[in-house]
Amino acid sequence: MRPRALPTFAALLGTLTLAACSGGGTPQAPAADAAAPPEFSGTLSILTKFAGDPTGPYFENLAAAYQKQHPQVKVELIQETDQSVKDKLKTLTASDALPDIYFTWTGNWADNYIRGGRAADLTKVIGPDTAWGKTFSPGSLAAFARDGKYYGIPLYGNGKFMGYSKSAFAKAGVAVPKTFEELIAACGPLRKAGYEPIAFGNKDGWPALHYLQQLFAYNVPDATLQADFDPATAKLAHPGYVTALNQFKTLVGQCTDTREGTNGVLYSSAQEAFAGGKAAMYYQEILEFDNATSGGKLEPDDFGIFPLPVPANAAGDPAVLEGSPEGYLINARSPRVALAVDFMKFATSLENAKTLSAPPYGQPSTVVGAVTEETSSKAVHEGMQLVNKAPKLAVWLDTVTVPEVADAWLAGGEALVSGGKTAEQVLDSVRRASESAR
Amino acid sequence: MRATLRRTLGLAWVLPALVLVGVFVYLPLVQNLGFSTLEWDIYSGSQEFAGLANYAKLAGDPVFWSSLGNNALYAAISIVFQVLGALLLAALIEGVRSQRWQRALRAVYFIPSAISLTVAGLLFYFIYEPNLGPLNHALRAAGLGELAQAWLGQESTAMSAIIAMSQWQGFGYSTLLFAVAIQRIPAEIYGAAAIDGVGPVGRFFRITVPLVREMTGLMAIVTLSGAFQVFNEVMVMTGGGPDNSTQVLGTWLYRSGFVRNDFGYAAAIATVLFVITLGVAVAQLWFTRRRRVEW
Repeated sequence: MRPRALPTFAALLGTLTLAACSGGGTPQAPAADAAAPPEFSGTLSILTKFAGDPTGPYFENLAAAYQKQHPQVKVELIQETDQSVKDKLKTLTASDALPDIYFTWTGNWADNYIRGGRAADLTKVIGPDTAWGKTFSPGSLAAFARDGKYYGIPLYGNGKFMGYSKSAFAKAGVAVPKTFEELIAACGPLRKAGYEPIAFGNKDGWPALHYLQQLFAYNVPDATLQADFDPATAKLAHPGYVTALNQFKTLVGQCTDTREGTNGVLYSSAQEAFAGGKAAMYYQEILEFDNATSGGKLEPDDFGIFPLPVPANAAGDPAVLEGSPEGYLINARSPRVALAVDFMKFATSLENAKTLSAPPYGQPSTVVGAVTEETSSKAVHEGMQLVNKAPKLAVWLDTVTVPEVADAWLAGGEALVSGGKTAEQVLDSVRRASESAR
Repeated sequence: MRATLRRTLGLAWVLPALVLVGVFVYLPLVQNLGFSTLEWDIYSGSQEFAGLANYAKLAGDPVFWSSLGNNALYAAISIVFQVLGALLLAALIEGVRSQRWQRALRAVYFIPSAISLTVAGLLFYFIYEPNLGPLNHALRAAGLGELAQAWLGQESTAMSAIIAMSQWQGFGYSTLLFAVAIQRIPAEIYGAAAIDGVGPVGRFFRITVPLVREMTGLMAIVTLSGAFQVFNEVMVMTGGGPDNSTQVLGTWLYRSGFVRNDFGYAAAIATVLFVITLGVAVAQLWFTRRRRVEW
């Protein structure tokens, strides 16, 4: 830099720093009336998590059908994948350019948008006593409620189950395990029968978190667990955490072929190993069920599911199932809130909900009556029955707590898999992250 | 009067470019410096002045220091391969008598550079894949099965595996630039040295090395600067894992902002990154002014 430019640079720096500091936040938008009659004109922007096959065409077809009904409305779709939607949403949030309707997970993820005043209050239109609200399962609506207000439109439910090949189990002579210890014991015979007992790929880090969250729910009492998700009340001192971490380590060491190298395997490679008949089990979401049996060697009749078995003498709740609905929020600052509500009513009509729940999409709708044995595959129907029966759902570990702690769990899970850290060291690193986030 | 008019007109001509550079380059740079002094909640939009707290946090963040270390390792290895190794290879190629072979060899070494880093990263991800990757298959076929491992899945090997890929990708480009620099050395100098009985090794050290000094310096600086801006290959191959062992400043910046929602801290990392690359750029300007060789 030339010396003469330095004073100019410094002056600019001072001015802009002051300008940035005096911002003090974006003013809150006036409360939009979600119950107002919509004006059927203009462009409605929607950010989905359905990019790619097989889900990509779902919103495209919905948009086309809606535009046919309302020719003055143009639906602009931004379709992202499970991974890319996170970055996209944060970029759009930081630049104050959120679309009219946007995807959300539950837990801390949705809380951030609600707390920041970026999610429209939909209580008047989707509260449990409203006509639209009554079409959803109450649990799915409650997942997006805060302080008695309802913000989210749950689109589909989800839960995590161990998917297994019935023929592989029969060949190995093993029964569906009833305890975690039986699951570990089944891995030897399955390997002898020529299968990788459990396909597992942890390149992205979150697959380990899914195992861990279910094991935490089994090993740590619920009240302790909930307190530990919030850095303000977290102690992370219950011995169940170390027990759960060691159980997961045992599973990776004894039931996967790549063992401590699974951080180098993509979760989709593991999914393919299961669908291709090379692995006997794969821990997966309901959303993946139809994908597992489409086009691979695994036939739908050969595909079975069971919840991750409960370890013996676990101190937590054995009935808790990991999972949570996923849905959409409406931008509180959108000038088209009423139109956005109308579009989402259309998207969650029973007919469209049934389409979403059926193959090839296989996303079990939260609309009552949409997931039946007739509309959905057997596994998806069974999975949703089990989710609905569960007294409580354990929300994904990477969305239930604050990002700094979730990231520490993610790094810790990878270190546990590779052998870089012991269970105690992992818990210690998470504790430090939680203290830092306080 | 006429000179003043000419100067004013000149300024008018460059003004649009200055405005564009100012708005799209310098303004974000300065804004970033401002952001690094804030606690910024992107959801509510609130921005609180935090002074130098984000910089103080840097000092106590072990991942920041390991990221900086990974950048430094990346730089050191790149200097060895992409500067010293590439110079040696270029000299060897230029020493080949057949023009046809020279051209073919240049093309062979240059082709990896034509592949985008993202594509090369994906390609090597599959080469390193523990179960299906050809690297482990080749090791097993050669009777070296005990060396087969999850190259990107373990803290001990992941960073080296990424650096190896980037050397493969960038090596050819440096070689080509050195080859061009060597071609500019008059053949008479080599001829005279040969008549004086100087062998190929002597010619390399006494003629080639001193006369491509300018290019060597430039390549060292470009390589160094590039090593601190690494992002794509790490994101594609490991995302910074396992256990943050392959984080570099660029990916840790990204993760701090877009995953951990700590945008003020991410801006502080960006400032450090800027200072490092600015230092390298200033060194580059100084070097190219001071070390010009003419013949």
